[in-house]
Amino acid sequence: MNPLIELTGVQKVFGAGPGALHAFGPVDMKIEKGEFVSLLGPSGCGKSTLMLMIAGLLEPSGGRIEIDGRIVAGPQTDIGIMFQDNTLVPWRTVRGNIELQLELRGLSPAAHRASVDELLASVHLEDFQRRYPHELSGGMQQRAAFCQALVHQPATMLLDEPLGKLDAMTREAIRTDLQALWIQRHPTVVFVTHSIEEAIQLSTHVAIITPRPGRVERIISVDLPYPRDFEVKSSPQFIGYVRQAQEIFRGYGVL
Amino acid sequence: MSIAFFAAFFLIWEYSIVWFGIPRYILTPPSVVVTKGWADIDRLLYYTWITGVEVVLGYAVAVILALPLGLAIAFSSILRRTIYPFVVCVEMVPKIAFAPLFISWLGFGLLPKVIIVFLVCFFPIVLNAILAFSSLSEELSRFSVSTGANAWRTFVKVRLPAALPQCFVGFKYAAINATVGAAIAEFIGSDQGLGFYIQIVTGNMRPDLAFAGIFFLTILGLALFGLVTLAERLLIPWHISLRRQSH
Repeated sequence: MNPLIELTGVQKVFGAGPGALHAFGPVDMKIEKGEFVSLLGPSGCGKSTLMLMIAGLLEPSGGRIEIDGRIVAGPQTDIGIMFQDNTLVPWRTVRGNIELQLELRGLSPAAHRASVDELLASVHLEDFQRRYPHELSGGMQQRAAFCQALVHQPATMLLDEPLGKLDAMTREAIRTDLQALWIQRHPTVVFVTHSIEEAIQLSTHVAIITPRPGRVERIISVDLPYPRDFEVKSSPQFIGYVRQAQEIFRGYGVL
Repeated sequence: MSIAFFAAFFLIWEYSIVWFGIPRYILTPPSVVVTKGWADIDRLLYYTWITGVEVVLGYAVAVILALPLGLAIAFSSILRRTIYPFVVCVEMVPKIAFAPLFISWLGFGLLPKVIIVFLVCFFPIVLNAILAFSSLSEELSRFSVSTGANAWRTFVKVRLPAALPQCFVGFKYAAINATVGAAIAEFIGSDQGLGFYIQIVTGNMRPDLAFAGIFFLTILGLALFGLVTLAERLLIPWHISLRRQSH
């Protein structure tokens, strides 16, 4: 079976001439359907750039990206994207923001009532659906943004550090919800993060990205049972994976 | 608090005239402004109507023309390179300086006043509209693109609401300019209106009536500003500047 997402020699250079910035690549990578793949690396390594290129929102300077056998040559509309800064708009309620995704796609919010309800309940926001984003905590905003990215039930999701700006406890809680959703629906997920623990806890595979220019140094397959709760996280195997990733980054002088 | 401050201001005005022995033809106490103004109320109300029509027409035409132009400049790179620099240059020109010319070209009637009000309102609205429609965040822009929505749907659901707060900055600024423009246009050449009234009564050594005229001009300005603010409250109640303190 062919991989769902295939990167061949993908690279990104910003600018031209002597001032050009080689941001990323070249990188070869395969992501199978239903996998949860983390792009793990330090800030500025180009992992967000790679995500935008997969989404078709940024053109690679070289190489080829294929999704489901088709070359990515423009914005991909059948995926769900969560950006580093959330895309909740201040003039709509939580529910209205989720419905914005549907409306922009020409789908009727009324026809998707039940699935919006279900989604809100799965992230414990059902009592806050009539609230505006500024009335919510940072964690609740990210939960709402998560629903917005997911409501059209994409088979592929690209998440760019969705938990990056949250405090440690909130991160932990949302990670658990995210994992539950993935276990239930099994979308293909590309997850950008700079947290080693987060990557190991959530992912089937962790792609270790080196500092600039970003390259995929190694892909660690995380062979641990789901759901990965506190029990799993304190197991020697889990700690072994974390150490493995730490060793690589230490080699690059990042840690 | 602010009411007490206003009261104190008018009390000091009222009694300082007595204390310092200021002659009545220089400055009159507010109590006299009220009684004399009341005696001339018919003329004041009629002129308020005249000036009000100039203000509302000039302002409305400015909004109707400036908003689409701002929108067009924001979305067209050709217009951005051609018309936009021109608009910025013209913005630097003090529009009010054209008032005597318009009066000499078009006479003492309504039209030159409407044009001058239009001119002082037009540019703040255009410039703020350009800013408003060209500053959508990269995230929201990418989000809209990723949904595959066409330009019209993206405009209605994302770009327009996101641009409204900045548009209102222009609307409010223009509302403040509007009565100033009308009054100055009437100073320069007119046979009716509040600007005309203030000039005539001042010439007749009647500061009491001049203040009454200024009072009605202020009410006119406040009314227009109030209407714009009301529209803002209705259209963008979600905006940070209008949120009630809920936390």
